[in-house]
Amino acid sequence: MIQPRRLSQEDERSLLSRLQARQESALAELYDHLAPWILGLAERILGDADEAEDVLSDVFVQVWARIHQHDARRGPLVPWVLSIARNRALDLLRRRRRWWRKIDRVAAANKAAGADAVDAAGADEAGVPGWPVHRAVHQALGALPVEQRDVVLLAYFEGLSHAEIAERTRLPLGTVKTRLRLGHKKLEESLRDLKDWLR
Amino acid sequence: MSDWLGMSASRQAPRPELKARVLERAFAVRTGAPWWGLAAAAALPLALAGAGLLWRHATRLERGLAATRDTLNLVRNPGTRVIPIPVVVGARTGELTIFADTISHRWLVACHNLAPNAPGQAYQLWFVTERGMRVAAVMPMDHDVPMVMAIDMPSDAGKVMGVAMSVEARAGSALPKGPMLFHVDL
Repeated sequence: MIQPRRLSQEDERSLLSRLQARQESALAELYDHLAPWILGLAERILGDADEAEDVLSDVFVQVWARIHQHDARRGPLVPWVLSIARNRALDLLRRRRRWWRKIDRVAAANKAAGADAVDAAGADEAGVPGWPVHRAVHQALGALPVEQRDVVLLAYFEGLSHAEIAERTRLPLGTVKTRLRLGHKKLEESLRDLKDWLR
Repeated sequence: MSDWLGMSASRQAPRPELKARVLERAFAVRTGAPWWGLAAAAALPLALAGAGLLWRHATRLERGLAATRDTLNLVRNPGTRVIPIPVVVGARTGELTIFADTISHRWLVACHNLAPNAPGQAYQLWFVTERGMRVAAVMPMDHDVPMVMAIDMPSDAGKVMGVAMSVEARAGSALPKGPMLFHVDL
């Protein structure tokens, strides 16, 4: 079995301190670790490979410019970078006024992919950095009841508000809130070990 | 917790050439000027342009004020002679008022209610001097608006004995050729 390479806590601390010391090689290293995941996340949100590359570029500009703002006591580096990527992708989605067109494309793509978020991990990718995290998050999502998973994914990948999710799914607002709350609670429990692993 | 959800998306291998481009852009931001420096650099030409406009505006106001003072002095001067002259063009009667300062040898000419010129034409004012007609001013009038101008009397033509106005080509004429509107002896 191929042992997955991962960004260990020690590696990350070292990487973070080197990033904060403005070592250019550290940013290149971070790129090697995270660029495929950022690109995948951005493409998932935007449904457009070119725009996803723009997001990737913007993310590394922001990381390099704002690395001193990252507080390791408040969370690990990787989720911080992922949150920058998600926010940037959602901003782009909104600002370019392609909201509904993109949503339709992404929704159609997701439908065609058959719940991409819970697909099983491919054996040929198991050796890439971050893969254990990817698998753990997949498993956590896969363990959610489908009605909870749907609203969690709509909120995360499409940046929809509770009201917008209610409108999209034609569910009462209260039901949406309940499903989100339950889904997030279960995810938190499922990913607790993951969080502990990186902290 | 939810920040980890981004890891649920399938990874996409970036194109190999993308890395250099992304890093180059990131490092360029680091070495670039801070935002306030860029803002200041961008604002400097605007500030200079604004100062230039203000200076020009102030200069124009000063000149206008000086001209107004000059005009008032000329009008108030006891030695200034006021000469109203009716100007009839077609069915319309306007007026031309000359404030002639015999001390400074300048005229202030005010026109009211003059009919606008036909295209390609202008009013032309003449000094009638001992040595013949001398051009005083060419006054193209495209619109029905009052007009005031200061004119220096000729110093090399002897005594100014009168004033006349004709309609000439728009560029003016060295000698009166068009219809004469008035000819007044002073």
